[in-house]
Amino acid sequence: MLNGLVATTSRLTIVDLEAGLEHLSRGTARHVETLLVVGEPYFKSLEAAGRSTALARDLGLADIQMVANKVRSARDEESMRDYAARHGIPVAGIVPYDEAVISADERGVALIEHQPDAPSVTAIRRLADDLLGARPSPGSPR
Amino acid sequence: MKVAVAGKGGSGKTTIAGTLARVMAGRGVPVVAIDDDSNPNLALTVGIGRESASGLPPLPRDLLEERPNADGTTRLELSISAEDFIDRYGRAAHENLTLLVLGQPSHGGSG
Repeated sequence: MLNGLVATTSRLTIVDLEAGLEHLSRGTARHVETLLVVGEPYFKSLEAAGRSTALARDLGLADIQMVANKVRSARDEESMRDYAARHGIPVAGIVPYDEAVISADERGVALIEHQPDAPSVTAIRRLADDLLGARPSPGSPR
Repeated sequence: MKVAVAGKGGSGKTTIAGTLARVMAGRGVPVVAIDDDSNPNLALTVGIGRESASGLPPLPRDLLEERPNADGTTRLELSISAEDFIDRYGRAAHENLTLLVLGQPSHGGSG
């Protein structure tokens, strides 16, 4: 079902995949242009992101990028960039750790409505612009 | 553009996917956000309350047709167009943004 939808809709499509990529079919993968793998700055999460990336590569996905989430410090960012570089995964964006995400969730409202100028939202806006090509991609030379 | 977002449970992938969808829709592009997670929470991050999200019509199975592949195997395809499907089973989440929830747990288990 997902396959048919992603293959034929003309709309910009964003799929929130099931955790883990075990259920992602080759058919669906063929129509996904960009896979964003979200990882957190700790070893197990990075390992999981690395596994997802390997699986997605096996499925034939060409454009796989990592989004670092819940980044608390320059050291966090560095460790994620380091992991990504060692595994040849481009980093699409860095989203900071943000209390606004927790308070939006507690209130049961959308983060972007709860606090439109939250640091996490600002980072996701930047990511969106990069993906839409409004800004030079982070991987390209400046 | 077709983007898929993956990550461990708790990684924040759903918040990122939903907010990304809202931001892109805000740029004036028609966006469909598809929840393929078995624990749907995308509705909340695109701006639909939990209650209205649970009122989405269930997705009937007969929308899939078995079609032959060249190599003799078969594949399942949508029997109606993706746009019809989205119009019929999607939920308007915001301007330019439609939500589609696919990952409902099948009945028989309590989830």
